[in-house]
Amino acid sequence: MEAESSTSNQQRKRKRSVSDTPDKPAQSTWRTDKEHRLYSSKLLEALRRVRSGSTLPRTEPPRSRAIREAADRALAISARGRSRWSRAILSSRSIRLKSNRIRFPVPSRPNRTELVRNQVADREKKKSVVLQRKARVLGRLVPGCKKLSFPILLEEASDYIKALEMQVKAMSALTEILSMIGGGTEGVPGPVQESGADTSTTSTGINSLPPPA
Amino acid sequence: MSSRRSRISEDEINELVSKLQSLLPESRRRGSNRSSATKLLKETCNYIKSLQQEVDDLSDRLSDLMAGMDNNSVQADIIRSLLSS
Repeated sequence: MEAESSTSNQQRKRKRSVSDTPDKPAQSTWRTDKEHRLYSSKLLEALRRVRSGSTLPRTEPPRSRAIREAADRALAISARGRSRWSRAILSSRSIRLKSNRIRFPVPSRPNRTELVRNQVADREKKKSVVLQRKARVLGRLVPGCKKLSFPILLEEASDYIKALEMQVKAMSALTEILSMIGGGTEGVPGPVQESGADTSTTSTGINSLPPPA
Repeated sequence: MSSRRSRISEDEINELVSKLQSLLPESRRRGSNRSSATKLLKETCNYIKSLQQEVDDLSDRLSDLMAGMDNNSVQADIIRSLLSS
């Protein structure tokens, strides 16, 4: 894993400025240019597939959902099996919808007599109860991490955050490019042409794609 | 983790959470260690939620853009070649 994270830092247009000092190699994942290119090309592939599969009528799960899932899948693939959340995404796309309904179990609270008796211990217990609850919420957010121990959960969460940031960056760049190109036609609801031949390599002579890594 | 497997010590929790803190965007404005573990966890959850929401919005926009591709226009051709090379 290269630690050339400085260039990708400069490319960030956002207000965040993470110090990617390579004190641990995990910091430089998801931030390198190589990873960005990898993800971008996978994203384009995924979008291509969505497009070619989009002969469904609009009443189906809308294309945006398909795009989201394709982007997540591409993200998970880019993780190369390093993290649990990526494996969870890849293995269980449909189960994810089900898991949103599970209530997180609230640990039992100490009753009143205990409260009066020992306030210090109680405060600590309360704090850990609240912590546990928050940890459960976090576990629900990160895919596949509902039952992990606390340190592992945090590690997965930090990896997930970084990956999400890269995903946002890639998708917004793509959106920007596409909206610049399609400036006049954006939002025009032309008749949806269900011609199955999507691989129309029209020779427009424009090759502005970033070279696939 | 010898005998206390049921509870991680508070120090360990704080240490782990402070590792997470460096990732959150707002943590750089405050001085370090001013947030308790619970606040940081809450911020983490909110941050993840907002990132996921952003991805959803971007997917929406992308789907709209791609819908515009179905026209026969120069721009649509460009987009198509972009996506199909």
